[in-house]
Amino acid sequence: MAESQIRIQLSTRYPDISLRENPGPIVVNTSLRRYALSTLVNTLLESEKPVPFEFLINGTFLRTSLDEYLTANGISSETTLAVEYVRAIIPPLYLASF
Amino acid sequence: STHLEPSYKVSNPSAEEARLLWSHYDIQTRDLSFAFTEQLRLILAPTLATKMRGDFRTGKRLNIKRIIPYIASQYKRDKIWMRRSIPSKRNYQIMLAVDDSKSMGESGSGQLALETLTLVSKSLSMLEVGEICVVGFGNDFHVAHDFGKPFSSEAGVQIFQHFSFQQTKTNVRKLIAESILLFHEARRRTFNAGIDLWQLELIISDGICEDRETIRRLVRQAQEERIMIVFVIVDALVKGESILDMREAVYGPDAIGEIGLKMKRYLDEFPFPYYLVVGNVRELPGVLAQALRQWFTEVVDSG
Ligand SMILES: [Mg+2]
Repeated sequence: MAESQIRIQLSTRYPDISLRENPGPIVVNTSLRRYALSTLVNTLLESEKPVPFEFLINGTFLRTSLDEYLTANGISSETTLAVEYVRAIIPPLYLASF
Repeated sequence: STHLEPSYKVSNPSAEEARLLWSHYDIQTRDLSFAFTEQLRLILAPTLATKMRGDFRTGKRLNIKRIIPYIASQYKRDKIWMRRSIPSKRNYQIMLAVDDSKSMGESGSGQLALETLTLVSKSLSMLEVGEICVVGFGNDFHVAHDFGKPFSSEAGVQIFQHFSFQQTKTNVRKLIAESILLFHEARRRTFNAGIDLWQLELIISDGICEDRETIRRLVRQAQEERIMIVFVIVDALVKGESILDMREAVYGPDAIGEIGLKMKRYLDEFPFPYYLVVGNVRELPGVLAQALRQWFTEVVDSG
């Protein structure tokens, strides 16, 4: 199956993690999930120490690949997808487990 | 994902709407199209410089390559002369392929595409150098005006009825594959030994396309069959959203084989060697004419 792509427009409502310049639409593969998107934002922020991020599309957290999200929500890849990011809250259980 | 939206045909313009649209763009591009026609006439006219060629018994200039065989054959192989040849009549088959996908409608590129379609189709038909065909692509590929059909305002109105910029995919791979077949068909139909037939495809699109590796291969195949493909990127140039600024996030192995993220300029991986970016229909005649002149020269030199 061939690569499938979509344009995303990243934004956040938190000034401390916001991008200095609007990056404009960025083309990404629809196979991406939260982790890869998090890497993308860290790259754009030029973070020394990567911060884990969570992603919201139309108000719901992205828990699948973009592709699965688009299919489940009937969104065509012809649209520029507005993607909001927030700092990930790491579950305390996970931290305590080691 | 075909269930996502109703068929794009639902919102295609009616005959009345198409008529209004066509006359609007017709008037808007009138002065431009006369100027453009003249520019194209200069580029597409057969080269007037004649060449010396052929093997004849009498002629204007000796063919040096034939001298030794001539002597060696005891002066029997005596077709050693060249004559000035008449430039062959050149004929064109030009396909205009318009991106009918939703991204065109959303970015405002759809309007620019219709202006471009009007301008180019009118100018080409005024030239009377060959046949014009108009196709649309998105999810599917469809012929809006076939080769061999005369072009007129009425044809323009009918063509406009095929476009609504609502298709939910942009299948450029399919476009190129189907175009090649259509060109084969058109060449076969008009085969005429005395005519030098040139085939040109102008794609009018916002330039967002997938499956670039396969597309690159198909474009090469077209080139080998002497079908020239020129990609006109209509770029609405909304601030910060121009395709010229657009970046792409690519995951892949780096120099030491570690998977990492790289930001690339979107156009760096563009699969069409001949492309140009136009932000306003007024720029188009100048930019396209200049590019065609350069590219045709390349094709003639390499051929
Ligand atoms: Mg599109």
